[in-house]
Amino acid sequence: MATTVAALSPGGDDGPVHAAGVPHPGIAPAASSAARSSSGKVTDTRLNAQQAADAAAQKPTAAGLRPEVQPLSPRAFRGPVAAYRRYAIREARAMAAPVAALVRALRAGDRGAARAAWGRAYDRYLLLGAAYGALGDLDVAIDGSPGGLARGARDPRFTGLHRIEHDLWTGRTAGEVLPYARRLRADVARLPRVLARMTISPLDYSTRAHEILEDAQRDQLSGAAAPWSGAGLRATADDLAATRKVIGTLQPVLSGRGDALPAVESQLAAFGARMRRVRRAHGARWPRLDALRPREREALAGGLGALLEALSAVPGALETQLPAPVPAIPKGHR
Amino acid sequence: MKLDRRRFLTRSAVVLGAGGLAAAGERELGRGPADAAAAQPSTLQDRFPFDGPHQSGVVTRGGGEAAFAALDAIARDRATLIQGLQALSSRARQLTQGTTMGPQEADEPPADSGTLGTTIAPDALTVTIGFGATLFDHRYGLRARRPARLRPMPAFPDDDLDPNQTHGDLLLQLTANRRDTVVHALRELLRPVRGAFALRWSIDGFQSADRGPSPRSARRNLFGFRDGTANPDPRDDAAMRRLVWVPSGGGEPSWAAGGTYQVVRVIRMHVEFWDRVGLREQENMIGRRRDTGAPLGGTDEYQDPRLDLDPKGERIPLDAHIRMANPRTPATEDQRILRRGFNYTRGFDAAGQLDQGLIFVAFNQDLARQFETVQKRLAGEPMTDYVTPVGGGYFFVPRGAAGPGDWVGSGAFAV
Repeated sequence: MATTVAALSPGGDDGPVHAAGVPHPGIAPAASSAARSSSGKVTDTRLNAQQAADAAAQKPTAAGLRPEVQPLSPRAFRGPVAAYRRYAIREARAMAAPVAALVRALRAGDRGAARAAWGRAYDRYLLLGAAYGALGDLDVAIDGSPGGLARGARDPRFTGLHRIEHDLWTGRTAGEVLPYARRLRADVARLPRVLARMTISPLDYSTRAHEILEDAQRDQLSGAAAPWSGAGLRATADDLAATRKVIGTLQPVLSGRGDALPAVESQLAAFGARMRRVRRAHGARWPRLDALRPREREALAGGLGALLEALSAVPGALETQLPAPVPAIPKGHR
Repeated sequence: MKLDRRRFLTRSAVVLGAGGLAAAGERELGRGPADAAAAQPSTLQDRFPFDGPHQSGVVTRGGGEAAFAALDAIARDRATLIQGLQALSSRARQLTQGTTMGPQEADEPPADSGTLGTTIAPDALTVTIGFGATLFDHRYGLRARRPARLRPMPAFPDDDLDPNQTHGDLLLQLTANRRDTVVHALRELLRPVRGAFALRWSIDGFQSADRGPSPRSARRNLFGFRDGTANPDPRDDAAMRRLVWVPSGGGEPSWAAGGTYQVVRVIRMHVEFWDRVGLREQENMIGRRRDTGAPLGGTDEYQDPRLDLDPKGERIPLDAHIRMANPRTPATEDQRILRRGFNYTRGFDAAGQLDQGLIFVAFNQDLARQFETVQKRLAGEPMTDYVTPVGGGYFFVPRGAAGPGDWVGSGAFAV
């Protein structure tokens, strides 16, 4: 966990918790077909966000537009995505060691060592963060959940980290788990090559900035993703570290495009501080989710929510194209 | 005191009788024009029939308050099961038609909880009884009577079904105008059947109010979008025969004719996440404007989206929900389903996120041809990230009881 903790503590003690609001740009940012913008009445106008975006789309060069609504060149994302790719490949290679340790521990019949190795392997996979969605079937093989399978957690198609988690924490023998660990080792070995080839569009990359932690809130802090090990909090720390990585690469692009970046940085610091405080209170280890005290749970859930509200402004601030106006439905009947 | 009470009971019986007549004469909500019914304020005297060729609660444009209770049969034998089903129908008939409590013995527990007082007004209550596939296993000698297309609901990709919120031998769907009517009815229905059925899971639902602008405007779901605009018209008998009611023959046992297959899916909506999505992206995921409900590029909710003239998705994206759910081609016409969904809200999860969503309810004549075809087409739609189906099941809703001597499902037991 040393890596994660380091990533969580960029320096300094716990600062005050800022309650920075979500920035609302003066006009709805131009949005592409799958981009985010703020909704509600746009400041100083009687327009809702849709109408404002429509207006912007029809007059893309109108005077008075603030810099953040001018679309970025897709070239602006080359550096950040390349830096992210190098990072992801590094993390994927680093995943091989804990997976090998997992196989060894299972061969030796050492459940304690196997669980510890599983935790380190899961950390590494989560630190890939922004790669999800670009990995397709490989992601399902490594990180799939049993929900959509006919026989649930007993379904033979349920493989990967969570299959192993299920088996390690529900009393299966090491011999039963070993084949899944070997399969994981083979899948993980393919990761670096797949990551080297994956395409990440500017839009994908800017939405990842907030979706990694949306997933953490939906799946990790709720306990849904890793229900057997109770690793949801540790996993949230990994997702936070991955988000920091993405935001870090985007920093030069985001600077000067409205208020998104300062709000995000302030909320990242505040949530990081909340996480550190909880970890300290539990003997400098990530507690199982069910060991959180109610006040800690509330502080983390609320802090993550506030961070997500700030992050939701990022994709809109990073638009690379103005949306085409929606054509009207032709008149007349079929 | 006693005299006063007796007088009160007599008087309310008269009042109730008058109200009941009015309901039968003037407020045939199940059969009259839905627009007219919707335009009138709902009253305690609204009444839907319990007996008839089809059960109420399917094509009924009924009350906006609902409860779904899945029960497992625990009856030790077939005779006990039959008694339980008879009791369910009998009590449901009383409650849906309105009843007045008789004099109570002071030493005995009252026959009714009393939460609605002594006069039980119908309040548009419907009780719809459905059978799950497991009822037709080895226990009660019903194997040969299983409706041909009934099976347990499979897990679809991206489902996260919780066994404690899924399936069941029996499903009760209760709807009414007011919450207290639904709460009372479920409690009363369970009372006489304790030895025959046990609760497996339950969930409460509500519909949004009709907020216009027109009486036809579909109500909104918890994503803020109108839901049900493209529903087939439940007043169109021919369409209902084509899409909803099981015909005689067709490989179905004879008792199944006049019934329908009910799909219930409890779909958690990640509303906080959804609220952080830009309006344009929300609308592109659905394929409609959020404010008016019009298909993208249109101005009117009921406008034809003309998907045929937008083959590249320039107006309505190719993966928009309305396009994938209903491509509006002649080939997909017989895949349409009749939806009657309800919103739910029930506290929050361990991460402090509201547990809200949709109780998706659909009726169709053939699960494979209709619901499952649509559901498979929707696999991987962009909205998937914002929802998690967690429960529900498939149920067969038999035809209605013939009258007070009959009970729902009797055909399955006829020798």
